Amino acid sequence: MKKTWQQPQLEVLNVNQAK
Amino acid sequence: MKTEQLSKTSIVSSSKQNIVSDMGGEKVMLSVTNGNYYNLGHIGGHIWDAIAEPISIEELINTLMEQFEVDREQCESHVESFLDHLRKEGLILVHEQDSSAVKA
Repeated sequence: MKKTWQQPQLEVLNVNQAK
Repeated sequence: MKTEQLSKTSIVSSSKQNIVSDMGGEKVMLSVTNGNYYNLGHIGGHIWDAIAEPISIEELINTLMEQFEVDREQCESHVESFLDHLRKEGLILVHEQDSSAVKA
């Protein structure tokens, strides 16, 4: 029994962050 | 930085500079090199596991098609797009044909 395919997505959860 | 387009004959593997964990069936990852957190999702986690060792994209697609209900054209398109995103974030290695790794 094959599983359902969904488009893989890379989710960037944060971007590091300079008176 | 390797800029040439990924193709089915490209050989890729996951960078070991990441801390990976499963959360509720989805794979999340901390990149040690850039400090960012990523969610690979469920299918992305399967792909990540499959590229633990160097593998050609064509072979990767064959493996995924054995596990998932998807036609080849759609699988190729989705996987190449996903891997390209991983490469741009520096999360995978792209290997030359002589098996030397190039940092993505």
